[in-house]
Amino acid sequence: MTALTMPGGQEPAAEPRPLPWRRMAWVTWRQHRFTLAAVAVFLGGWAVYLWLEGLQVHRAYAAATACRPASSFACGEIITSFNYAYGDIALHSAVFLHMVPALIGAFAGAPVLARELETGTFRYAWTQAFGRIRWTLGKLIPLAVIVAAAAGALSLLFSWFYQPFFADGQKTPFAPEVFDLRGVGFAAWTLTAFAIGTLAGLLIRRVVPAIAATLAAYTGLALAVGLFLRQHYAAPLLTTGPRLSGSAWIMSQWWTKNGKFAFAGGPPNNLLMQICPSPGPYKQLQETVTQCVVRHGYTQWTSYQPGSRFWPFQWIEGGWLLALSVLLVAATVWLVGRRPA
Amino acid sequence: MTAPTRPARQQQDPGLRPVPWRRMAWVTWRQHRFALTGAAAFLGAWAVYLWLSGLQAHHAYAAATACHPASSFACGNLISEFNNTYGARSEAVASLLQIVPALIGAFVGAPVLARELETGTFRYAWTLAFGRTRWTLAKLVPLAVTLAAAVGAFSALLSWYYAPFFADGNQTALAPTVFTLRGVTFAAWTLATFAIAALAGMLIRRVVPAIAAALAAYAGLALAAALYLRGHYLTPVVTSHQNLPVTAWIISQWWTKDGTFAFAPWPPDSLARRICPISASGIGNPKSANPLQCFAQHGYTLWHSYQPVSNFWPFQWIEGGWLLALSVLLIAATVWLVRRRPT
Repeated sequence: MTALTMPGGQEPAAEPRPLPWRRMAWVTWRQHRFTLAAVAVFLGGWAVYLWLEGLQVHRAYAAATACRPASSFACGEIITSFNYAYGDIALHSAVFLHMVPALIGAFAGAPVLARELETGTFRYAWTQAFGRIRWTLGKLIPLAVIVAAAAGALSLLFSWFYQPFFADGQKTPFAPEVFDLRGVGFAAWTLTAFAIGTLAGLLIRRVVPAIAATLAAYTGLALAVGLFLRQHYAAPLLTTGPRLSGSAWIMSQWWTKNGKFAFAGGPPNNLLMQICPSPGPYKQLQETVTQCVVRHGYTQWTSYQPGSRFWPFQWIEGGWLLALSVLLVAATVWLVGRRPA
Repeated sequence: MTAPTRPARQQQDPGLRPVPWRRMAWVTWRQHRFALTGAAAFLGAWAVYLWLSGLQAHHAYAAATACHPASSFACGNLISEFNNTYGARSEAVASLLQIVPALIGAFVGAPVLARELETGTFRYAWTLAFGRTRWTLAKLVPLAVTLAAAVGAFSALLSWYYAPFFADGNQTALAPTVFTLRGVTFAAWTLATFAIAALAGMLIRRVVPAIAAALAAYAGLALAAALYLRGHYLTPVVTSHQNLPVTAWIISQWWTKDGTFAFAPWPPDSLARRICPISASGIGNPKSANPLQCFAQHGYTLWHSYQPVSNFWPFQWIEGGWLLALSVLLIAATVWLVRRRPT
């Protein structure tokens, strides 16, 4: 029997085609669907609350501003009742919203890598054909983008919610309780918290300590930026004017006499005893103490940031937070590459 | 060869002496030492900050109150500077401190059972000679007591820190942001969150979702207690006097005319424009000096319902009491679920 033979053809070895990123996106979704659903529910709950409360706030404010004549007792009462009813709620909502980036960064960011390392499944995940660097990037970047985008959407809703309290120009947009909730700040802070969370998860290798460390690190960073760093983004303006617009962010005040520095902040006690000893009900104190001291030849200087610098400051803060997040994610990916399997 | 024999004696089975509770205390410490030291470090850092900041505030307050004559510009200036510098800071601190019971209770309480269930080590832990019920109790009760004691000591520091701000009567001790920081309620909320977290861990069987669920449950419960429950622990005082003490916690206000309810909390603008219209200048007009007088002249009475500050300690005991009862109930439910679960 003869068998037909053919010379063995030199077929080119089939190149291992790299797995498409789309498959990795599916893996990321599968492994983190509960986390993403929880973030969606959390932010969705906040959105519903801000929407409902915001409709009330806008309606009440529209009624307050539509009142004529504007300086009558009745209209003044309406504005008072508006501030009484909604000022407190708005402030407390702002205070509680500050926890959102920290919680999202900690609960969404930390378990991404920490869970793999804690349970040992990294040994399987990182030896796939997809390669551990691409695997890490294919997880971190989609999650970071989704989380930041969702937070950004919520901050738009919050800006709409808080708008009546800024409208009369009496509140500075730099107020620490609202600055990082508006513009690009909220999304940037959420992105940074997520990046801190993933790096902490990789370094600590245990989920719950990584969550705690992320919360602590984010709180420290946010406090440091809010208290010390933010005021130095641009050189403050100086003025001797007695009354700044309510939207200005006052940094510090000091007094000079005859061109030389006298004292900072408020007048010292012994000086007041000397030059302004007359008693007066101290409810009216702020106006008359200043006038009395000015009468004695002192000039008050104020350094401040004008309210118009709100957006430049937002871009500056968003920019360096974005750079920090990119740095942290790059460090995470580099450490994943370095780690002996 | 003969071997001496003795009849087999029924020896006392040396037996199953129950493992002493002290050994289990060591196991609890070993397994939760990181959580407990983490909580201690957290409270310690807060204590250092509050101590340093509180010393500053106390010095400033002592200087402000020692100033004479008390009604001069200089002394009034000291007081207003004290309020501006330290008052705002103490309010921010009070807001941040609200989450301390939640974090400590959730991070220590949730992993107790959830970690065992998530990793499967409950199969080993619950089949020891110690018995699963005693094992659960020996974990939950010492942890709960330790946390409550540590946080209770911390809240004594908080009471000291806030003493100057209550002394001048500018803030009511019943205000929601500061009420839970003092007395027994700080420890009681931590205990309740711990119990909620332990039960959540048993039900959810995964650590991170249990922590998240415990934080969410604390937030919901704390809001409900502050907004709806606390005002009604004791019947509020209803009065139409206008000079309420500054330390009173006002629950609600409304207006009546001729004994029937008119409106709450403020007059509707249509009514205000009709009966108390003020000319555009508004200044110098005697009616504009006191808006309440204008309405009073038209026969309306303003009523307030409030809680006097003397109710502070009764409220503390009431709130501490129901939180303690809730914690005992939740821990009992957790233990019951541990017993029920088929291994």
